[in-house]
Amino acid sequence: MSQSFAEIRRRTFSSIMFGLCAGGAALIISILLLVIGYLLWIGVSSLSWEFLTAVPTGDVANPGGMRHAIDGTIILVALASAVGVPIGVLAGIYLSEYPTEYAVTGPLRFIADVLTGVPSIVVGILGYELVVVPVSRWTESSISYSGYAGAAALAFIMIPIVARTTEEMLRLVPKNYREGSLALGATRAQTIFRVVLPGAFGGVATGIMLAMGRIAGETAPLLFTALGSRLLTHNPAEPFPSLTLQIYTYATGPYPEQKRLAWAGILVLLAMLFVVNLSIRLIAARHARTRVGA
Amino acid sequence: MTPASAATPAANTPGWSRESMQARLGGSGGGGNKAEAATLRRARIGDAMLDWACRLSAALIALMLISLIAVLVHSAWPAIKQFGLGFLVNSEWRANEIERPLRDSAGKLILRDGEPAMETLAPAFGALPVIWGTAISSALALLIAVPISLSAAIFLVRVAPKLKIAGAASFLIEFLAAVPSLAFGIWALFVLAPFFQKYVGPFLHRILEPLPGLRWMFYESTTVAGRTIERPIPLTGRDLFTGSLILAIMILPIVTSVSRDVLRAVPRTQIEGTLALGATWWQSCVAMLRYGRSGLLGAIMLGLARAAGETMAVTMVIGNNNQISPSPFAPAQTMASVLANEFGEATEGLHRAALLYVALILLTMSLIFNVIARRLVVGKLASRNQ
Repeated sequence: MSQSFAEIRRRTFSSIMFGLCAGGAALIISILLLVIGYLLWIGVSSLSWEFLTAVPTGDVANPGGMRHAIDGTIILVALASAVGVPIGVLAGIYLSEYPTEYAVTGPLRFIADVLTGVPSIVVGILGYELVVVPVSRWTESSISYSGYAGAAALAFIMIPIVARTTEEMLRLVPKNYREGSLALGATRAQTIFRVVLPGAFGGVATGIMLAMGRIAGETAPLLFTALGSRLLTHNPAEPFPSLTLQIYTYATGPYPEQKRLAWAGILVLLAMLFVVNLSIRLIAARHARTRVGA
Repeated sequence: MTPASAATPAANTPGWSRESMQARLGGSGGGGNKAEAATLRRARIGDAMLDWACRLSAALIALMLISLIAVLVHSAWPAIKQFGLGFLVNSEWRANEIERPLRDSAGKLILRDGEPAMETLAPAFGALPVIWGTAISSALALLIAVPISLSAAIFLVRVAPKLKIAGAASFLIEFLAAVPSLAFGIWALFVLAPFFQKYVGPFLHRILEPLPGLRWMFYESTTVAGRTIERPIPLTGRDLFTGSLILAIMILPIVTSVSRDVLRAVPRTQIEGTLALGATWWQSCVAMLRYGRSGLLGAIMLGLARAAGETMAVTMVIGNNNQISPSPFAPAQTMASVLANEFGEATEGLHRAALLYVALILLTMSLIFNVIARRLVVGKLASRNQ
């Protein structure tokens, strides 16, 4: 018999393992649906117009909204991007477009990779020691938590991510684009800004959006830098509110009404991230169309 | 548009002539030596400015790493000087002075003038409890996450493309990676922890307690006054086990997506060869796993680095207790969570320095994990591309 017992056993075992592999994939997807579904379900029921427009009242039974925190997160991300995007993109250009300086770019690429893996809480502590403490000492005030310190910590996280994705995307631009441009007498700066960067625009923009999404969801770097605030403030020199900090405070606090706000806050945060993700897809799709058309 | 392109008759392919290209690039093609020299000078200045802007930005990245290490070492120096490497193995963590009644060797209170005599314990700082908490929670998380991730990765590479769901499944897993840790923390705090407290904890207790040799999981013994008292650990749902589980959920996406990339890089001929030799589906998968083992190890290391540095979700459910308990159902503390909990309130110099020392250990550890992981994964994927 060709179908010996051992043969049947190994085929059965293979089928069982196949089932387990499918089960593993199904398990991950169902965990995602479980977590997201739960967040959506409770979040939607806690969401209200007041949540988006009101500021905290100080009354625990009727805690108001999170307008201040939403504004805070937008301003923090904008500030961090204003610093992080140019530096990150320029560093990415350096890593990709200066192959003759490979003795430097190799180690730098490695450092950027390693920096993306630094725990975010450590970045927060660095922000405290490097920005908050010196500023406090300089102004001779009590501890000067500020939105600027928070934005600096977020930029710290953003720069290596933007640099590496920019580099990867610029590398996808064919070499003969650069050679053609240089052969026509364009300078290096012209080649990079008018040929290479536009050629990789979709990818670079995607990387930037991804990094913005990542820092918008960060809490740990802000704990000891921006600190959080219950006031509606647009002045980053003060302790600064953020959606994540406010959610964390409410979620770990004792009041049920504030916990409802935390759920709603998570929903708003996820919605913001979803919009970012969607924009990435749209940019990528449009980019793909223009590349094909060109 | 420019006078130069109008004056040159050779431009019969308008889109790609030298002149039109130069016009598009902003240069003025020709137009006399003086103008050309000026353009050239401007171009050189522009190039030099770009060069240095790029070099400065890149140097900033190196500076970031250097400042990270330098600032932490500098700020933690008082603690490093005082505790040395013994910090790593000292298990006492007391941020404030504690007064407790003095006892003699038989465990009786010593009375002095009719009042129990008190002794004052000075603050002490040792990192062993948080290192323990980090190590055990990360290990448990890997134990849960790695089998699931690997099987899902195999599914994504070998099965999903045939079913035409690889794109959708990959998108979902990558979206899971983009969900902020705070969202998992909220879910764990409000859904997972109560569920564990109410159902899973008591269930495991009932099942596991009668088994010989597992009593340590549910009882802690303390030696008070010379006697050993054994008392049940309260099942709060906010303990090492819940912390590990949420960590496992959070590292699933990264381990899965990197493993998927590694397995995808295994040459088709390897798989086809094993199948041609009569291997079953699973046997060819084993061959595939073996071929990609160093990259898979890298994926696991990345997961480990992520788990060890994860802060918010763990802080919310791990119980935050600086103790070493063998039981997974006791509250614990990790390096990241002790920083999140205590750094804001650490006003006293040595306490703050000790926390910075912990941060330095955490940074060193995650740097080591990351370096190993990048070497393993990048090496494997790069060799495919060549």
